[in-house]
Amino acid sequence: MILSEGKMFHSSKQNDILDRLEERINCTLASESLDVETVIAAADQLGQRIASGEFDDRIKEFSGENFGEYVKTAAMFMKRENLEYRVAAELGTDFKTCAEITPPYGIGRAEIRYMPMGTLFHIAAGNADGLPAFSVLEGLLTGNVNLLKLPEADNGLSIEIFRQLIDIEPALKNFIYVFDTPSSDIEAMRRMAEMSDGIEVWGGDTAVRAVRSLAPVGAKIIEWGHKLGFAYISGYEDKEAELSALAGHIISTRQLLCSSCQTIFINTDNMEELERFCTEFLPYLEKAAAADPVTEIGVFAEITLRKYNSVLENAIGAGTTDGRIYQGKGCSLTMLADRDLELSYMYGNCLVKALPEREMISSLRSSKGYLQTAGLICERESRSRLTELLLRSGVNRVMRAGTMSASFCGEAHDGEYPLRRYLRVANIEMQ
Amino acid sequence: MGYRKKLFGVQDPFDTEHTGEIFLKAVRENCRFHYHHCPEYKKLLDHMKFSPDDLKTYEDIAKIPPIPTLFFKSHKIYSMPKNRIFLTATSSGTSGKYSEIGFELGGLLNGLNMLLKIFKWRGITTLRPSHYIILGYRPHKGNKTAVTKTALGYTFFSPALSRTFALKFKDGRYTPDLEGIISAIKKYERSGFGVRLIGFPSYTYFVMRLMDERGLCVKLPKRSKIMLGGGWKQFYKERVEKEEFYALAKKTLGIDEENIVESFGAAEHPILYCDCKKHHFHIPAYSRVIIRDVDTLQPLPAGSVGLVNLITPMVKATPILSVMTDDLGVIHDGGCDCGIRSPYLEIIGRVGVKDIKTCAAGAAEILSELEGSK
Repeated sequence: MILSEGKMFHSSKQNDILDRLEERINCTLASESLDVETVIAAADQLGQRIASGEFDDRIKEFSGENFGEYVKTAAMFMKRENLEYRVAAELGTDFKTCAEITPPYGIGRAEIRYMPMGTLFHIAAGNADGLPAFSVLEGLLTGNVNLLKLPEADNGLSIEIFRQLIDIEPALKNFIYVFDTPSSDIEAMRRMAEMSDGIEVWGGDTAVRAVRSLAPVGAKIIEWGHKLGFAYISGYEDKEAELSALAGHIISTRQLLCSSCQTIFINTDNMEELERFCTEFLPYLEKAAAADPVTEIGVFAEITLRKYNSVLENAIGAGTTDGRIYQGKGCSLTMLADRDLELSYMYGNCLVKALPEREMISSLRSSKGYLQTAGLICERESRSRLTELLLRSGVNRVMRAGTMSASFCGEAHDGEYPLRRYLRVANIEMQ
Repeated sequence: MGYRKKLFGVQDPFDTEHTGEIFLKAVRENCRFHYHHCPEYKKLLDHMKFSPDDLKTYEDIAKIPPIPTLFFKSHKIYSMPKNRIFLTATSSGTSGKYSEIGFELGGLLNGLNMLLKIFKWRGITTLRPSHYIILGYRPHKGNKTAVTKTALGYTFFSPALSRTFALKFKDGRYTPDLEGIISAIKKYERSGFGVRLIGFPSYTYFVMRLMDERGLCVKLPKRSKIMLGGGWKQFYKERVEKEEFYALAKKTLGIDEENIVESFGAAEHPILYCDCKKHHFHIPAYSRVIIRDVDTLQPLPAGSVGLVNLITPMVKATPILSVMTDDLGVIHDGGCDCGIRSPYLEIIGRVGVKDIKTCAAGAAEILSELEGSK
């Protein structure tokens, strides 16, 4: 289905709608604008209605067993407090007012004004349910016209959210266009890209690369690519508690999130120390896995197959990971001799590598496009030194090991404040 | 020598019961050949501490280290020089990586022998001519997928009066021509000759549903058949409830259930698995299946679900003697009303989680990117 000007259309109408879209958008840009308060009020109202259970039946249709999680997340994201806090944290409190300046060495007086970029084209991966909706909500908060290409795995939730939002606040209707264009329809995506000032893409390298190739020169590309998380261990404050927390994190996130721990780095260059760590940590991981086991046989099979395949690859000298596997029940640790940040087998199967402090920057720099979260376990007196080093390496979040995937309101996303990226700074010369 | 030819020459294509000894001999012969002619295969076996001479009893076949289909996607390995490779087939990869399997003439001839025997048993090999409607790709230079070749190959088992393709290669890409298919079906209804529809189950279903929606029902001549095929993947993905499929075929095309023949195969295991009248996939004499534990990879008894390991000594050009698919399956031992005594294989799914909706969906991509950049 397609959502355009607040109305639903069949997918087959896509090209007719695209034919008229530029003119429609120009009309909106010329005569309408969105106030941040209008958007917050509408989102807050929808959030409250979701929390009160009004849409439970509808959400259940989409969400299946994750129902509770859906409602909680949606309601929290849409809350007035959350949105106001984010706007203030990311844009400052006075972004709506025009500042007047008298710069040296130039014209007399000038005015600074924050303007929406214009039209934002969101290309969302099927990453997290509802994610496309939140992405558009950010575009609305900054006053942009939003075109959204739904991920192919979308379950209908996004379009439903926008319908309800427009129902609450009809002023939003000319700012939201949702298309279920398949990724293979390059031509339609190119047309949407050509109408846009900014293109936002969520997805893996292939998606990002594809979007770059279809973006017109001059369009701003806002990439939210996939990241790899890791833990860095250099001594302990409370060994047992910290190792338990790390094990819990690895098992509970199934290592599926960008912030999940894929590789555990130990501050050493002694392989025996790595062996000791693996022997010591494996029982923690087994305990966490036993409490929250992976039950899907398909997942198990895939991991086994991939591990077995890498054994064979090593045999012909083509392996990238010639490691020693510490097999636990429902989990494993693979000890490797290299120092690269790498994706693990996931689902409780973590990599362990040595990374002495002095080599941290050179090693992590080779993965610079993929850095995001580090879970730091260390002695109290080393924490600020190691934090500094991690940040200088390009890491954007330094967390405690057990809370690597925890998020908080107003936090930056991959080192950026998203809302800022959807605005432009305009200068007006004053008389 | 020559055990392979003996195996492929056995009269009953489903006699797995009495072919154990010859199968073992053919496997040992094949294993030795690859061990001595494919340096990578030798390294693999040496690393796994297995030698072709370890193949002493039938049970030893399970000890041959199976090569995952995943492995063939990153490594093109051969046991014969290029000039002896008669044909290469690529698997229809969904992940963008393809495995490339080479076949030598001898292997293909044995394969043909197998096809003729199995299709004869299923009433497909006949001298009566037929019209063919292929719900798949029209072959062209750039398309080497096994599926394309198989579909075309099927049209030689009865003399072809015509061939109509549903997916046409035009301006550098494939475009579906479902209208063309429907008008061909209408045209051949009164031709007096059998019509054979060949293709992926999903396309066939789509065509029948389209006809049903338009209230279009035909009664195709009585020797008509629907031949469903594709890779193992298509076999269970987009799978339509079978009963519904059969009912729709009867209603829209006038084809009875027993004339719907489903078969599948893969480039990495080019043995034809064709269903019986009860729609079970019996293991042919040329192949053996071992179901392996998803955790330990140890062989499991019949009735247990695990990874599907397929074994055949058919090919000498590529070491695909024992391959491990990324399918999950189960073996059912004996007891089929069709009369065939060999066990049958049921594929129940694929490794991994369906529709993972997390960053991990792109994580494997990242991995290959990182590897590629090194």
